[in-house]
Amino acid sequence: MSPIFLVARRDYFAYVGAWGFWLSLITAPLIIAALVFAPVLLARAEPPRVLTIIADRAEDAARIDAAFEEMSRNGARAEINAYLAATAPALAPPALEAFDAAPDRGAGIAAARAIVADRAPRALPAFPQPSPRYVIAPAPTSDVEALRAYLNGARTLPDGRQLFGALNIRREAGAPVIEYWSVNLSHEEPSNIAHRAMRLAMQREALAGQGLDPAEADRLSAFDPRIVQFDPRTVAGSAEVTARQRAPAFAALALAFILWSIVFSVANMLLSGVIEEKSNKILDTLLTSVTPLEMLIGKLLGVAAVSATLFLFWGALGGVLLSAAATQLDDSIFGQVAAAFLEPRLLAAFAVGFIAGYLMYGAIFLALGSLCESIQEAQTLLGPVALILAIPMMLVMPALDNPNAPIIQAASWVPLFTPFLLLMRAPAGLDWIEIAGMGAVMLVAVIVVLWLAARVFKAGVVDQVSMANWRGRKKG
Amino acid sequence: MNAALEAEGLVKRYGARIAVRDLSFSVPQGSIYGVLGPNGAGKSTTLRMLVGVLRPTEGQISMMGGPITREGLRRVGYLPEERGLYRSMSSRGAIAYLARLKGTPSGKAFKRADQLLTDHGLGKVKRKKIKTLSKGMAQKVQVLAAIAHDPDIVIFDEPFSGLDPVNQRVLEDTIRAQAAAGRTIIFSTHVMEHAERLCDRILLIAHGSKAFEGTVQEALALAPSIAMLETEGEYDLAAALAPKGFNLSFDGEEHGNRRWRAKLENGHGSRQLLQACVEAGAPLSLFEPARASLHEAFVALVGDKATPEPAE
Repeated sequence: MSPIFLVARRDYFAYVGAWGFWLSLITAPLIIAALVFAPVLLARAEPPRVLTIIADRAEDAARIDAAFEEMSRNGARAEINAYLAATAPALAPPALEAFDAAPDRGAGIAAARAIVADRAPRALPAFPQPSPRYVIAPAPTSDVEALRAYLNGARTLPDGRQLFGALNIRREAGAPVIEYWSVNLSHEEPSNIAHRAMRLAMQREALAGQGLDPAEADRLSAFDPRIVQFDPRTVAGSAEVTARQRAPAFAALALAFILWSIVFSVANMLLSGVIEEKSNKILDTLLTSVTPLEMLIGKLLGVAAVSATLFLFWGALGGVLLSAAATQLDDSIFGQVAAAFLEPRLLAAFAVGFIAGYLMYGAIFLALGSLCESIQEAQTLLGPVALILAIPMMLVMPALDNPNAPIIQAASWVPLFTPFLLLMRAPAGLDWIEIAGMGAVMLVAVIVVLWLAARVFKAGVVDQVSMANWRGRKKG
Repeated sequence: MNAALEAEGLVKRYGARIAVRDLSFSVPQGSIYGVLGPNGAGKSTTLRMLVGVLRPTEGQISMMGGPITREGLRRVGYLPEERGLYRSMSSRGAIAYLARLKGTPSGKAFKRADQLLTDHGLGKVKRKKIKTLSKGMAQKVQVLAAIAHDPDIVIFDEPFSGLDPVNQRVLEDTIRAQAAAGRTIIFSTHVMEHAERLCDRILLIAHGSKAFEGTVQEALALAPSIAMLETEGEYDLAAALAPKGFNLSFDGEEHGNRRWRAKLENGHGSRQLLQACVEAGAPLSLFEPARASLHEAFVALVGDKATPEPAE
């Protein structure tokens, strides 16, 4: 049996036999699920924020009140739409029609719910009960100074609720001035909503001053041209860009982050593994049977097999869920995003990026580990290495914005960035020949890095060169 | 006798520092060969070159008459000075793993590991993880791992260091048994007594260079002869014989008698020493010509500064 295989096999079983491996295997999907759903759950768990409005003119207060009511109505509509898109897409149009026809938010929710209860009762138990983000409470006092006690938490409203913020709409020489009072200094949304409402009101007043009928002024304010985006590369069917066409770019972004975090965590395993062997003093024994290059490759393969095991489990789990979503929820946004993850071009880019990126970064980490005597010493090296690894991620967001920008195109041929930028460019119509070309570049880069890493690894494990004695040896 | 290993003009440089310089020696097949010298003499560097871990800067090494090859190195067992095993592996797994790296088939490697552990009194701990074993047990496991693939040549680097006297004796027996099985054994040590008891031939190294190569007897012959004497009462034998050109040193007192150690140099033999004692009227209660030690031979060859440490 090949020494490379034996080294890889031993390392594989050493990692798989550790409890940390099983912990990662099981907890990672749970953590990802938590990261996806936690913000939604947290947002839902928060009770509505209570605002109050004081205004010199009653109509100003009414306008702002109406703006908040419209916002919460739109929020409820969007939540119902998202739920139905994922569970019963065919019911979305009639349910939303019923919602729109209702006189207010509460009635709208009840009307949509009634449609679902009638036509798809199985979807009813999880039907959302959207709560508004803000509620407007009557002002306990008309004096702004007297409101301070309520806003500071010294007093509560008559019904026991805590006041989150207050909007005071003054008129100065006829022009409205919006004062927003709140102890939450970083939260500006209420003042923005009031600003928008009052700006429309001022436009309306100005137009009315020019003799325009208020209803006509409202119609003018409501102008909202439809935006349709087209993709010139489409050869069959409609060229209109839908969520389905945009989804691969976001799937690529998610995969790039997954790739980065896996490469980084797996490379850390390699680093700590080789340091452990150095401190265990076992390397001399092994080196009589395997060459440094064989050991380096064996270790890379062993840890790659660990990653493959994780991927097989997570991939099988994710693949089943994504496939089910892609077929069952074909016409929903969720189904379209799921299908985007399964695009052959994207999967090919991910495979090339992962294998090449892992081998290249893994070999670099192994070589660095061979120069360290302890984990503490390695940690001092990890700082600069983490900064280097952060560079590709800095290019990922510009690549999402414009994957065909000249700098992104050029950088995608630089091996340090290729695994990540290849992924980001794949949905933007990257040819198979280009994917193969970048794969070839990565292959050459991997061979060169492996060769260099083997030399450093040999110096580290055979000649006992370390960060600590490097200077001494150079002088010696 | 054919040479199992032969080195010709070995040199190993690390930058400007020379660890081994122009070292030539020959290890006969089936012999127990000791590489002796103080710490830092270049013993480990020499052995690491023999097992292919280090490449010589200059010089040639031949194994069984030919160049060192990967296949040839599979027939070599090696116990490095910097010892260690995977702490989470069982003793059985560790021995079998290293044997498999040397090309032993899996089934045979595990059988051999079981047999060696049982033969050396470690059968009960064969499934225990290395980290749960005592230091002595773990060291035994490593020695067994070096011979598990039935090598033709076994190289031990400082095998006795860290072992208590009982386990040192057990290891000496293991080395003798390996040699009796026809294997060539090479081991390094800075403790001369082990070499005196075990070796057919020795290589003395000081400052990276060869000081001597030959049999233990040849080495001892290079050391000055000595004699042990005992005088009654407080008689000063050293003072009495100094005018006659004899060099004696006080070696302690026992039951009221003084013991003396005489170096027989300058053409003086034991007969002349005894005659001088009689002529001086010394109250001798013991006169015993003694054999010089390898340690003394080494001192005679390279001087005090490069002398190995005395026995542990």
